[in-house]
Amino acid sequence: MSDIPITPDLLEESARAADRSRWQEWIATVDHKKIGTLYLITTLAFFCVGGVEALLIRIQLAWPGNTFLGPDAYNQIFTMHGTTMVFLVVVPLLLGLANYLTPLMIGARDMALPRLNAFSFWVFLFGGILLYFSFVAGHAPSAGWFSYAPLSEKGYSTRNGLDYWALALLGIGVGTISTAINLIVTIINLRTEGLTIRRLPLFVWMVFVNSFLIIAALPALNASLVMLLIDRQLHAHFFTQLGGGSPILWQHFFWSFGHPEVYIMVLPAFGIISEVIPVFSRKPIFGYGFVAASTVAIALLSLGVWAHHMFAVGLGHAWEYAFGASSLLIAVPTGVKIFNWIATMWGGSIRFTTSMLFAIAFLLTFTIGGLSGVTFATVPIDWQVTDTYYVVAHMHYVLFGGTLFGVMAGVYYWFPKMSGRMLSERWGKVHFWLMFIGFHMTFFVQHFLGLDGMPRRVYTYPNRPGWGVMNMISTIGAFVIGISVLVLLANIQISRRSGALAGDNPWNAWTLEWATSSPPPEHNFDMAPPVRGPRPLWDLAHPQGGRT
Amino acid sequence: MRRFDTAKLAVAVFIGSEAVFFGFLIAAYLYYSGAIHGPTARSSLDPARTLIFTICLIASSGTLWIAERHLAAARHTAFRAWLAATTLLGAVFLAGQAMEYVGLIAKTITPERNLFGATFFTLTGFHGLHVLCGVIALAILLVLTFRPGFGTREGSGVAAVAMYWHFVDAVWIVIFSLVYLAV
Amino acid sequence: MWVCAFILAVVTIATFYILVRYRRRDDREPDQTTGNKTLEIVWTAIPLALVALLFGLSVMTARAVDHKIQRAADVVVTGRQWWWDVRYGANAITANEIHVPVGREILVEVDAADVIHDFWAPRLSRKVDAVPGHPNFIWIRADQPGVFAGACAEYCGAQHAWMRFRVVAQDEASYEAWLAHQSTGAATPSNGDAAVGAKRFGELTCANCHAIRGINTQKQYAPDLTHVASRQMLAAERMENTPQNLRDWLREPKVVKPGCYMPNLKLSDQDLTDVTAFLETLQ
Repeated sequence: MSDIPITPDLLEESARAADRSRWQEWIATVDHKKIGTLYLITTLAFFCVGGVEALLIRIQLAWPGNTFLGPDAYNQIFTMHGTTMVFLVVVPLLLGLANYLTPLMIGARDMALPRLNAFSFWVFLFGGILLYFSFVAGHAPSAGWFSYAPLSEKGYSTRNGLDYWALALLGIGVGTISTAINLIVTIINLRTEGLTIRRLPLFVWMVFVNSFLIIAALPALNASLVMLLIDRQLHAHFFTQLGGGSPILWQHFFWSFGHPEVYIMVLPAFGIISEVIPVFSRKPIFGYGFVAASTVAIALLSLGVWAHHMFAVGLGHAWEYAFGASSLLIAVPTGVKIFNWIATMWGGSIRFTTSMLFAIAFLLTFTIGGLSGVTFATVPIDWQVTDTYYVVAHMHYVLFGGTLFGVMAGVYYWFPKMSGRMLSERWGKVHFWLMFIGFHMTFFVQHFLGLDGMPRRVYTYPNRPGWGVMNMISTIGAFVIGISVLVLLANIQISRRSGALAGDNPWNAWTLEWATSSPPPEHNFDMAPPVRGPRPLWDLAHPQGGRT
Repeated sequence: MRRFDTAKLAVAVFIGSEAVFFGFLIAAYLYYSGAIHGPTARSSLDPARTLIFTICLIASSGTLWIAERHLAAARHTAFRAWLAATTLLGAVFLAGQAMEYVGLIAKTITPERNLFGATFFTLTGFHGLHVLCGVIALAILLVLTFRPGFGTREGSGVAAVAMYWHFVDAVWIVIFSLVYLAV
Repeated sequence: MWVCAFILAVVTIATFYILVRYRRRDDREPDQTTGNKTLEIVWTAIPLALVALLFGLSVMTARAVDHKIQRAADVVVTGRQWWWDVRYGANAITANEIHVPVGREILVEVDAADVIHDFWAPRLSRKVDAVPGHPNFIWIRADQPGVFAGACAEYCGAQHAWMRFRVVAQDEASYEAWLAHQSTGAATPSNGDAAVGAKRFGELTCANCHAIRGINTQKQYAPDLTHVASRQMLAAERMENTPQNLRDWLREPKVVKPGCYMPNLKLSDQDLTDVTAFLETLQ
């Protein structure tokens, strides 16, 4: 049984809740399901904003010498696109899903610190609004999403955009760390009877490991941001060479955050895949222990690869060999996961639901992205391809084709649990194929553009052979993605009201969130089922064992 | 199955994140300490005077520890007194730091002046901010002790704040050693 | 690349095979296999071996590309927002166009005067950042004669996109001739529009930023113009170096290259004619 007792406080709370208006309910809520939903809605909105920014970028780059956007506007837009997608979409989206699902998947009534949970969301939202306020205040940040010094210093970025950027990210960072603390305490303390660490659903395990990574990495960002703000506002010289400071130090500090950050952006997606593939192959995950262990390996290694973003800085061969080695090494545990996911499908009975389609697409697309990452870890290759469109291709293959496809798999999988209704499978498949095709159209050609010499972050480019055609293909692909997102939004909106009723466990899945109604009641479980293994509902349905 | 005290576990994890944050500020201080042009730690700071305030801060950890023992034995008045002493000592430390800052700024040693100024003020400034938050938390606890029904049950919240306070103290010992003593 | 292609092939083929072979045929639950330790060890060990191989190859290649430096640089390139200052020794100064002799390895020192830039000629060499206060060195070598494109490859502000350059590879003799010529100063033209232009060049404050060796010397805020008319392109590869383009550039620099630091001096048509004529004499 789950352990937060129904105390008189909670009952009183529920009674009072019935009196509040709907708006008040949502603003004052400390319920993890509502907070999780708030995260999902907010990040979806920011995703659309970031997506529009991407479309503007792609329109400008559709042919050489285009004058749709001038350089100043373009530079603000690509900076905001990156910042939005990293800080206002991917991470909070994953944490929002974690927020909604973790207590359910461990048989608890809520997160361990419900008020901290609410605080985390609102401070994140405030940060997002503050960031976008920079447009209104005159000039958005335009030094790229990682704001290299000295360009990001007052002398070269004279407007206030970067100050908004730093302050917003500080707020968002605080929110992210708070959520991580909450998740760690929740997962350690609130697991239902019988749910040992070794029986944790892999999504929860990955969220758990991920939270420690957040604790290790986000403070590095906060430290870097305060130093930048002190440079800009108090005229210090942490990162300006003119006062004895070191622009390279910014890179070291930022990437000490930035590299773990990209794993923070992918581990929960690995967790989603680890839930979805077994259910739709009708077999348990292959190599549970190895998948769990490789997660820890990735998290630990990710703390030791940051300087692979700096291979062209001229740090010296010692640095380059050391970080080349660690970066090549981190490919191994990631590969182990891919093999285990494939082996899970082997011998299974595969159902091609939309969720599963996205999971399979994830496998293939993330593998491509991971392999281009391996080419970056090969230092001399990096010396050619770093800071080109090859990087843009790689990062979108892992973050979009990886994380976002994983998230889509999760959306189609858990939407029934959250809303009580099924998303349309037919329109889901339309969304899938449009997004899949659009994605590869947009980003595959960018590998070649990079290899052929197109640098990144350019508002236009010379009319070199093939560049115009490839950029045009990329632009068209981006619009195809845009259409697919509209299909998704329509699907969500329509299915919310009139989709087929889901019932408790439409997928015949095995983890605890499926042991309660869809959507779950406020207190999550009337009674959490006994847990004797990693698949409680399977065990319940097969008391004798069954085909093991 | 409540395996650990929630408040203490949460603060412990939070302390982990703060340790990383201070780690980077310390790293910046150390990185630049080798090649300073202009005022340095040795030429601008007064370790002897700062030692007095350091002792106050370390003592405040002691008083807090004593206070917790009184709370565990349900001696609420004693607890309140030692808690008040802790808060006071923390405030004294902050006053000392403020005085030091005023003195340095009067000599135009500021974040703008050189990298010693920048790293010194950033590191000790954020530490001071953390002390301030701790003092506020202790003061709130103090006020809460006057509520009817305050008892050993609240020990968990007190223990959590105490952990934070001891951490802030420990960070100061590191800073004092690296910045004031290592000259 | 072959290693990666191989791994991708394995993953893709395996996946497609499995998807077809194991698609749902009925509602029976399949064998609930949970793992295989041997398999795990094998598919950890093989990638480990592959990455070790890649590491070895990368070390060998890195040492070949970045081999030891035991002499001074042949050319010093300084990145500035948004153009490249190019100097051979003390006397030959130009901008955005580097000449090299075919078949000879040239050592380039890469500096920056303001923010971080990156020097990259994709067909000739690796890229390396231009970091203020931290000079870097790379070798470039052209095996054939020709013109090779180059770009700034580290976002450096408004006109990062048009901070391009070119490397012109020539036979040894032509290269030496070019170098010698770039080392000479210019002569003030004696008559016609060009002579007026030379005078106006000083009066209009152009000379405050641009040096023309032999006529005025100036701290290098802006490209050295001593032999500007001999260059193939203008404004860091923005447009071809023709008199009309030069005139347009002078008339409206902020339209040609929005955000650049060259002010719009609102030159009259006559000034444009004269100054353009003068600059065209700077071969």
